[in-house]
Amino acid sequence: MHFTIQRDAFVHSVQHVNKAVSSRTTIPILTGIKIEATNYGVTLTGSDSDISIETFIPASDGEKEYVTIKEEGSIVLQARFFAEIVKKLPGEEIEVAVQDQFATTLRSGSVVFNLNGLDPEEYPRLPQLDEDNHFQMPQNLLKDMVRQTVFAVSTQETRPVLTGVNLEGEESELICTATDSHRLAMRKASVETKTGAMSLSNVVIPGKSLNELNKVLEDSTELVDIIVTESQVLFKFENLLFFSRLLDGKYPVTKNMIPDHAKTELVLRTKELLSSLERALLLSREAKNNVINLKTMNNSEIEVSSVSAEVGKVTEKISCDTMEGEELRISFNGKNIMDALKVIDSETIKIRFTGAMSPFTVQPTDHDQMLHLFSPVRTY
Amino acid sequence: MKWTEMEVEQPTVMTMLRQAVKKDRLSHAYIFEGMHGSRKEEAALLMAQSIFCARQTEGRPCESCVECKRIAHGNHPDVMFLHPDGDSIKKAQVEALQKEFTYKGMEAGTKVYLVHQADTMTASAGNSLLKFLEEPASPTMAVLLTENAHFLLPTIQSRAQRISFAPPLLSTRTAYFQEQGMSPASAGLLARLPDETLANYEEESKEWIVQGRALVIQLISEVQQRPQQALLTLQEKWLVHFKDRKELDIGLDLLLFWYRDLLSVQKAGGEFAYPDQMQKLESQALSITEQEIAASMQFILDAKRRLRANVNNQLLMEQLVLHLQEGS
Repeated sequence: MHFTIQRDAFVHSVQHVNKAVSSRTTIPILTGIKIEATNYGVTLTGSDSDISIETFIPASDGEKEYVTIKEEGSIVLQARFFAEIVKKLPGEEIEVAVQDQFATTLRSGSVVFNLNGLDPEEYPRLPQLDEDNHFQMPQNLLKDMVRQTVFAVSTQETRPVLTGVNLEGEESELICTATDSHRLAMRKASVETKTGAMSLSNVVIPGKSLNELNKVLEDSTELVDIIVTESQVLFKFENLLFFSRLLDGKYPVTKNMIPDHAKTELVLRTKELLSSLERALLLSREAKNNVINLKTMNNSEIEVSSVSAEVGKVTEKISCDTMEGEELRISFNGKNIMDALKVIDSETIKIRFTGAMSPFTVQPTDHDQMLHLFSPVRTY
Repeated sequence: MKWTEMEVEQPTVMTMLRQAVKKDRLSHAYIFEGMHGSRKEEAALLMAQSIFCARQTEGRPCESCVECKRIAHGNHPDVMFLHPDGDSIKKAQVEALQKEFTYKGMEAGTKVYLVHQADTMTASAGNSLLKFLEEPASPTMAVLLTENAHFLLPTIQSRAQRISFAPPLLSTRTAYFQEQGMSPASAGLLARLPDETLANYEEESKEWIVQGRALVIQLISEVQQRPQQALLTLQEKWLVHFKDRKELDIGLDLLLFWYRDLLSVQKAGGEFAYPDQMQKLESQALSITEQEIAASMQFILDAKRRLRANVNNQLLMEQLVLHLQEGS
C-alpha cells in the first residue's frame, strides 16, 4: 500500500474513527485502526466490537484532490500512537507506505515515522449490507429521537435487553421504545423508506451505542440512511458509517401496557411542573427514594408534596390549565418524571391517570408522537 | 499442522472432537480435563477453528485461512477467552463475559468462549456462569479448561460434557528432561511435576530440585524415626528452601510421590519416583499399612488444597507433619 493524503482531511477522519477504538479491548487487533486504500479513496475503520466507525476519504471530490493512490492495499496500525502522530505531523501532506512484514512508513515534511503494523486480514469484517430494511430520516430528527428515549434505558444488567432502545417499524412509521420496567419512553416518527414497505421488529440498539451516535449526529436536516441487518445496525452519513451491534433477546411487548382510558386528566405547563418537582426533590433526594406525592385540589389545582422524615416536608400548589375526572392521590418517583419532562419540548403536557395504583402517561399536548409511561410508587 | 500433531498425542480426544464437528453434534458446553502439558488449550483452539473454518475437511480445520489464523492469534471477535485475574476467576469477570454475550455476534453465527483454569472460579463466579451456561440467548459453546474437574461446582459438571485428556507419557517426559542434562533421579521427579510449575524454574531448577529431593527424604526419615527433630528440620531447612506458595506446592508434590512409591513397593510394581531409595522405601513399607499410606496421602492432598486457600505456610507444614506422624 502506498498513498499520499491531505493532512487536514486525514486528521479529521482519524479522529472520528478513533472515537470507536477502546484501549480496554480483549481482542488485540481492535487496538488498531484499519486503513484501506483503493483507487476510489482511503477507508479508515475503528471498532471496540460494540460499535464500529468507518470513514471514507474520496480520492477527489470534483474541486479538490485529497488522495493520490500509488498502490492499493491495507494495514492495521496501533490507534494510540497513530492518532497522536498524525495530529502532530508538520507537513500539508502525509505519505503512507507499507513494506514487508506490515512495517509502515509515515512521511510528512522532513519527518519519518516507522511503525509496526498488524495484519489487516485479522481485522473483524463488518456485515454485508442488504438493502431490505433501509430507511432515511433527517439527522436532527434522529438526534431528537435518541435524546428523547435513550435516557429511559435500564442501567442494570439483570435484564440486558432493557439496556437498549427498541426500534419497531411498520409501513413508514418508526417507533422507538425504551424502558427500565419502572418507566417507559416512546417516540414515533415517520420516515422515508427506500424499498416501500418496512417491517422492523425486535431491533434493540444498546443505549451506550446511541449515546456515542449522538456525538456524531449534527443538528442539520441532512438525511441519514439507516440499515438494519441480522446482527448490526448501520447509520450511514456522507463519508462516515456508524455500525452498532444489536442486543440479543426478546424485547417485551409494550403496546398493550399503555392504558387507553383515563380517570383523571390534567393539562399543565411543562416548565412549571418541572421546576416544582425540582424543588420537591431537594428534600426527598436526602432520603434517596425520590418519592413525590401528588393530590388534586378543588379549584383545578394540584398539590405537590414531599416528606423526608429527618429533614422535613415541602408542599406546593400548582394551578392546571384544565382538570377533569375523579379526585386522586398518587405517589411516584419524581426523578423519572423530571427526566421525561426535560426531553419534552412542548409548552404544555397532558397527564392521564388511571387510578392511584396503576400506571399513568405523560404526553405533550401539541402532538401525539411522544408518550411517557410511569408506574406509581406504593407509599403505605 | 497442529491438528495432526494433536491426533498423535491425544488420539481419543481428537477423534471424538472431529466426529462431533463433522456430524454437527457439538455439545453446548465442554469440560476439558487434563494435566498440565496435555495440550488441552491447543485442542480447544483447534476445535474453535474447525467450527469457524470455511475449508474444514472431515472436521479438521485448515489452519491457514483467515478465520483459523484469527482464532489462533486471539483476534476473532466471536471467540472469547477468560483467564484468572490473579489467583481466581472473579464474579465480575463472568459478568463482563455475559455482558459481551448479550450482544449479537459480531460476524453472526456461533460464539465460543474458553475459560482457562476454570477450577479457580470462585463459587459466586461459578454460580453466575451456571445459568448462562444452561440457557444462553444465542448459539454458544463453552469450553472450560481445568486440571481438576472435581474442583468445579457439581452443578457445572453435570451440565457439560467432560472430555479427559490423557496425561503425557511419563517415559517421554523423563527422557526429555534427561536430554536437558538432568540426572536420572531428578529427571524422574521433574517429569512427574506439572509443566507450569517448572516454567519459572527452568534455569535454577536443577540444583533446586535436587536439594528439594534430599529434603523430602530427610523429612520423611525424621517423621519416621526422630519425631522431635522433624519440626526443627521443617523450620530450619524446609521452609527456607520452599519459600513461597508455588514452591511449597512443588514440595508437597515431591512428598506425595514418596508415599505413592511406598504404595508401589507394597503392591510390587509401578514406576518409582525415587528409584535410588529402594532400601529406605522397602524398609518403611514393611512398617506401615496400606490404610496408613492412603491416610498420609490424603493429608498431603488436604494440605495442597489448603495451600490454595491462603493458609500460612509454616502452620500448614507443621500440621501436616504432625498428621503424618500420627498416621505412621
